Amino acid sequence: MLRLLSATCLAVCLCAATLVAAQQLQVPATITAGSGFAIPTTGSGTATFYLVGPSYATKREVNLGTEIQVSPREVRSAGRYIAILRHDGSSESGSFYVLAAKPASLSFLAHPSRVPVAQHDGIIGVAFVFDKWHNLVRQPQTVDFRLQAKDAAAVSQSVRSRDGVAWTLMNSGRKAGNMEFIATLGGVEEKRVIQQVASDPCHLQIKAERNPKGVLVETEPVRDCSGNPVSDGTVVTFTATDAQGRSTVDVPVKKDVAQAELKLAGPATISVASGVVMGNEVRVGGQP
Amino acid sequence: MRRAIACPTGSQTRLILCAAVVALFLSVTCLAADAPQVQFDISHIGPRQMEDVTGRNIPRDWGRAWQTLAVAFEQNQPDLLGHYFVGFAQQKLAAAIAAQEKSGLRTRYIDHGHKLAAYFYSPDGGAIELHDTADLEIQVLDGNTVIHSERATLHYIGLMTPAADHWEVRLLESVPNF
Repeated sequence: MLRLLSATCLAVCLCAATLVAAQQLQVPATITAGSGFAIPTTGSGTATFYLVGPSYATKREVNLGTEIQVSPREVRSAGRYIAILRHDGSSESGSFYVLAAKPASLSFLAHPSRVPVAQHDGIIGVAFVFDKWHNLVRQPQTVDFRLQAKDAAAVSQSVRSRDGVAWTLMNSGRKAGNMEFIATLGGVEEKRVIQQVASDPCHLQIKAERNPKGVLVETEPVRDCSGNPVSDGTVVTFTATDAQGRSTVDVPVKKDVAQAELKLAGPATISVASGVVMGNEVRVGGQP
Repeated sequence: MRRAIACPTGSQTRLILCAAVVALFLSVTCLAADAPQVQFDISHIGPRQMEDVTGRNIPRDWGRAWQTLAVAFEQNQPDLLGHYFVGFAQQKLAAAIAAQEKSGLRTRYIDHGHKLAAYFYSPDGGAIELHDTADLEIQVLDGNTVIHSERATLHYIGLMTPAADHWEVRLLESVPNF
């Protein structure tokens, strides 16, 4: 009796499984974006076919017993689609995934747009790989990042993308000026311009000259450690120490030099600094 | 004693204002349901480590984006997407809503939660790629008839970028696996 019951249960389960299986539309597990395919149907008469996807939905009448054609334009967006066939109040359905097609574009983020020269890992490049329908291409791809400055050898790195993204850190060059930051994948190229600017001042040198009004103090052309003239507006601080005490004056660099006129009557020592860089000291005598 | 919203009669301006208030109230009510639960894992993030505030805001905004998506697809209101979706994500989702509305369809998402993992956080903090495992009930309706219903665990890849005071979804794609 127990065996009979078990056998009956098994038969019912198999039957149910067969029925469930019969309610599944035969769709491929995955297809490539923009590739049409056909869904076979059985029976006769008409039914309503629905296709619901990440950027698309449609409803149309179809003849049972013939193949339902899904056109390439209906499956351009990557993601999960649900196909439903409705007939006599009941539904058969199936789901499938559309995967990205071959790479066709790069979304390239370059940071920053201005960078001081000689910065280690100062430039960041991030590239997202997309196909021509803006689907993320998850298959690993080799993205080439290249920094190209005028009159200098290009620096490049090849990076394998993972899950659609490739990134790199690169050093800035030694010469101020614009340079191109280029990401390339196959025939796809994206270009950004990065401005390299002088870094902090280096080797500050001053000279001082007494005149009837006081002391005129002036720097030599202010440059960074790579020899690039620093940007106008970079602040230089002159400090004078005399019998009256200590006084400071902050002056912006203008056309490569900073200068100031200090009201000093007696002998004094004048020093210069900018940021964390100290320059030389000069001594001036008193007024004759 | 219960008080209803009083709409003064005899003044068209007040009537219009009143209608606007009611419309706003209904609109807010639509989105008033709790955002889905989002568990957030940053143990495999790189190359940048995530700041505490960002670590709180990402799951919050991801949940709100899904909440918005669910309402937009059920009510065929693509305009709702604008606050949390931008770029390709917004374009594709809006196209889907427009297409389902044209066919007389709606999609209902009953959201049972997300396991969200940050995968890539760009060195400049400008983009985050996420892996989401979502537990969803999906119903497709033709008019008011449910023509398809399923509960599924689905995988999504997302890309979020920062806006003024929140994070926005720039890419949302369902994938077979991670």
